Amino acid sequence: MSSMEYSKLESSEAVGDVIGDRALAGWEIASVVSSIFIAEWLASVAVDWARIAVAFPIGLAFVLSISSHRLRGETARDLGFRFDNFFRAAGLLTLPMIVTAIVCLAIAWWAGERIDFWRWHLSRPLAVQLILGFAWGFVQQYMLQSLVNRRAQIIWGKGWPSVLVVAAIFAGLHLPNPALVVATFVGGVIWAAVYQRAPNIFALAISHSLMTWIVVSTLPAPALHHLRIGFRYFGSN
Amino acid sequence: MSNKPRSKLIHLLISKSIAEAVLVAAIAVGFYFVTSNPDLRGVLDVANTETVNGWAVDEARPWTRVEVQLFIDNEFVADKTAAEFRPDVHRARRADDDWHGFVFATPPLPAGEHEARVYALLPNATGTRRTLQLIEKPLRFRIEPEPTRLGFPSEKDGGR
Repeated sequence: MSSMEYSKLESSEAVGDVIGDRALAGWEIASVVSSIFIAEWLASVAVDWARIAVAFPIGLAFVLSISSHRLRGETARDLGFRFDNFFRAAGLLTLPMIVTAIVCLAIAWWAGERIDFWRWHLSRPLAVQLILGFAWGFVQQYMLQSLVNRRAQIIWGKGWPSVLVVAAIFAGLHLPNPALVVATFVGGVIWAAVYQRAPNIFALAISHSLMTWIVVSTLPAPALHHLRIGFRYFGSN
Repeated sequence: MSNKPRSKLIHLLISKSIAEAVLVAAIAVGFYFVTSNPDLRGVLDVANTETVNGWAVDEARPWTRVEVQLFIDNEFVADKTAAEFRPDVHRARRADDDWHGFVFATPPLPAGEHEARVYALLPNATGTRRTLQLIEKPLRFRIEPEPTRLGFPSEKDGGR
């Protein structure tokens, strides 16, 4: 490479020429997923005060995500923080949620599992747990849809390929818990498909909380393994 | 997306990757120091049909006694504190006093080859987790089959 070419590449704006739109979107997805994997598989190994290490990769993922929205000129409305399409999104979610709930009930009946809608968190009122589930679902759905799904659409466009990639990523982030991997893949397909038709994070977060409640209340507890994922799946605390 | 924000995003991605690589390296180094004691010294001297013995010292805290566990063929056998009389360790200046030896009685074992391993038990600062650190190298020993009255190995002992 000649010195002239080198100095051209060094200029800040020229760096943007090096990588295409799709590659950049793929890099963003990989970066966010790697942060979550680091938190799940490495940082969560830490004990006591060192558990704060989990906040570092998660914080970096949020910094990247928010900066990416700003640099790409995405508005809150684009990302799904809106209410005008709430009922459309809720309508699209209703049928798949009912079907999934029936399937979960059928699995519980087939496995001889006692169905208990109060067992999600024994020391916390169900309403509080549902609200906490909504908050946790909101964070997950934001990262999964507003970033991963939108970047997947840059690479593969709207439709099944990008929906399946989002679902596979969501399921992969729940390894090595086999029951959760299956459940989150199914949920991931539903939520990613609905988001592509009616992007609304609030409706998805409500759905996330309700579906978690249904899954915890119906599927055999040993199979769910206390909803543990990552390295903590193998531990007792 | 124009070039300027694109290059900013690329720089951000590179910076994030570097920060995460540093974090992973820090976790790896931290994990090593939490789960192992670089100041642990010890030797497994003897492993035979009667005894497994040696010594262990934490050189960073030579006044303490190291807790050790004996495993034979990867099965836990016994644990004890390395506090037996070993003046040779003291004379060799590996310890501040004479009391860092360990002696296990070898349990009854079937005839054949066996492997003895002794691990030091390392508790973390708060005592919530414990890890095992191998003391020196494992020792292999053989238990001969007991001769019968006719001079052949009994079936009971020579089966394996």
